[in-house]
Amino acid sequence: MSAPKPDRTDVCIIGAGASGAAAAKVLTERGFSVVALERGPWRTKETFGGDELANVNRYNLWPDPLLNPRTYREGADQEPVVQMFCPVPQMVGGGTVHWQGWLPRFTPEDFRLHSVVGDLEGTSLVDWPITYDELEPYYTKVEWAFGVSGLAGANAYEGPRSKGYPCPPLPLSRYAQKFHQGTRALGWNAFPTPQAALSRPYNGRPATVISAFAQQHGDPTGTRSSALNVFVPDALATGRYDLRPESYVRELTVDASGRISAAVYQNEAGETFVQEADVFVLACGAVETARLMLLSTSARFPHGLANGSDMLGRNVTFHEYSSAIGLFDDPIYAWAGGGYVSASSMQFYNHDESRGFASGGHIACAGVGIPLPINWGLPDRPLWGPEAKSMDEQFFNHSMAVSMVVHDMPQLSNRVELDQDVVDAWELPVARITLKPHQNDLAMGRFLVDRDADILQAAGAQKIYKVYPDKVTGNCSHQHGTARMGDDPGTSVLDRNCRAHEVDNLFIVDGAPFPTATGANPTLTIMANAWRVAEHIADTRGQKRG
Amino acid sequence: MSTFFDPHQHDTLAAAMARIIPTTDTPGATEAGAIDFLESYLAGIDRIYAKPDGSGFEALTGRRADAWRRRVEILRSTYVEGIVDLDRRSADAYGAAFVDLDAKQQDRVLTAIERPGESTALNTAQSVSGYAPVEPALQQASVEISLSFLALLALHTRQGFYADPIYGGNRDRMGWKAIGFPGPSSLAEVHTGRYTVIEYFADGSHEQEMEVTRERAKA
Repeated sequence: MSAPKPDRTDVCIIGAGASGAAAAKVLTERGFSVVALERGPWRTKETFGGDELANVNRYNLWPDPLLNPRTYREGADQEPVVQMFCPVPQMVGGGTVHWQGWLPRFTPEDFRLHSVVGDLEGTSLVDWPITYDELEPYYTKVEWAFGVSGLAGANAYEGPRSKGYPCPPLPLSRYAQKFHQGTRALGWNAFPTPQAALSRPYNGRPATVISAFAQQHGDPTGTRSSALNVFVPDALATGRYDLRPESYVRELTVDASGRISAAVYQNEAGETFVQEADVFVLACGAVETARLMLLSTSARFPHGLANGSDMLGRNVTFHEYSSAIGLFDDPIYAWAGGGYVSASSMQFYNHDESRGFASGGHIACAGVGIPLPINWGLPDRPLWGPEAKSMDEQFFNHSMAVSMVVHDMPQLSNRVELDQDVVDAWELPVARITLKPHQNDLAMGRFLVDRDADILQAAGAQKIYKVYPDKVTGNCSHQHGTARMGDDPGTSVLDRNCRAHEVDNLFIVDGAPFPTATGANPTLTIMANAWRVAEHIADTRGQKRG
Repeated sequence: MSTFFDPHQHDTLAAAMARIIPTTDTPGATEAGAIDFLESYLAGIDRIYAKPDGSGFEALTGRRADAWRRRVEILRSTYVEGIVDLDRRSADAYGAAFVDLDAKQQDRVLTAIERPGESTALNTAQSVSGYAPVEPALQQASVEISLSFLALLALHTRQGFYADPIYGGNRDRMGWKAIGFPGPSSLAEVHTGRYTVIEYFADGSHEQEMEVTRERAKA
């Protein structure tokens, strides 16, 4: 018995998170019919709330590691261990459902870092095949679709903008004030972090409530911008977006000519369907996109779809998040607003030869960990006892972090593959991460955490902890680089328009195409690039539609 | 309320929780009902996720329910074995069950579990397990089922002290009061968007600070 075949569609998008929903909006508004296959549920804002235990500790939004494990090893000579490496919520809206929504742009230098730095031993550092200027119009489109709150011109290291921000910056939190006091005393540039929260009513949505539950919580008011409440409704409004949740794609099949013919997926009841389309767009996140392509083997592609170059899964990058933590005499309530609002600096972002390592990263104010009662903590708090309790009482309202993102360097040997032993709850091999940080990553992390501490010191902190990252753990939920875009089919999987070199009806729009991680939060750029690629797909197929 | 633990297990865990967040000049795990939180959690899978409007609990189905059944089983085993170990250590050292020891003796037994070879409790060495973030990293990589008995009990004591009261602990929001967290009076407050902490967020001087930032942006 053959599996049922729903009607053929113009474009099949696998995934309905940040990038998949952005691409769906653009393509449906350009007149194309889109079927979206999303493995997770389609939750609405009514299912979200202010529950630290459920959201942070009990996998209410995070993937359950018992259902969706991953494995990790540092090197090819080591046994992989089951580890929740770089999880991202699997549901309509993806990671944007529970993010705080920091939306800085990459700098022009990010797109040409190899030209700036030169060869860096042990890395596969390259320039991007596209420039900041090519992406700039799409940054603007996403910022205005979302209603990003920010202050144009405040970031001295940002590239030229064609338009300012649609909403003014959020009010400065007490912890952001500390950050700005510190950077001002040091003479460093700082700016209000561009954010997804609405500082004023925008496109029919009221301004975002300042709650304690933001980072890692879904927004029950629907006012913090996300793929779920911006792109999905836009695409649905066209009548051409057939969004199917709980639809887990197991394989992409290819025809005799090596083009993708169908996506084979399972619904919640375990029934299998075969979805045909003219064009397939992968938007599963860099890890799961690589995994799906590796699962899709055929006579034409025995080592995974579009993987004749053996580049698929390689050069994976994850960032690493760490901080200096400061204690202040006056209360700063670093949980208010969710703990990540709103002060940033790119003073140490672009490359500076004199620092002794390549590139740099984004620095910003933050709460300590998830700065809510259960999950807040200090590095020297004991596990239990009166001292632990006393530290909670003394410092919960008096602590903040200045954090940084490590721009981890791409390396050929850091890669995503299929695990040979571990399967998920659907009995498919899980992603195995092999990853060892480069010395540049660790040197950068130390340097940036020291600068974090400088800011806290200059802001008057009475005690400072420095937490240097000594490994890459995937704790940012940022993932990039498993299917690089580039002009050379021998060293990249995709061309400059994120179409597979070897499969002409396959496009990838999540973080997988990123040739380098950069030192900034990637989702704005992921969505801008998805918008660009979707426009390209529409432009090149427009004649067919008439 | 249905329970998993027998009376001895219940009392032993409650006694250990009372050492993890002790009653001082402020309430501790005992007053907050942390043991009730734990009993509620491990009684089954009926109280895993509160409904976000606070009207009850989600009914879990399918693979999600399967995963939670597995998880609860694993956690129960960790506790059952941990309690046996606790009593064995207590008997070896003091000739009595853990629950019958005095507070100092209980602290020594817990310390021996946490840091074998050390006899003095509560130094300020970096804590190495459980919830305490050695790195101020996000928590998503933590996997509850891989924790050892004491780390797990410390985590659940903390959750029973600080989680929303709907889960059975944090009685009268006393955990939140102890640290000065103005949590919502109910989950419904957040769900409806009525809950705001704007007065903690900014103090009014932000306008002046923002003006400086705008000026610097122009410069």
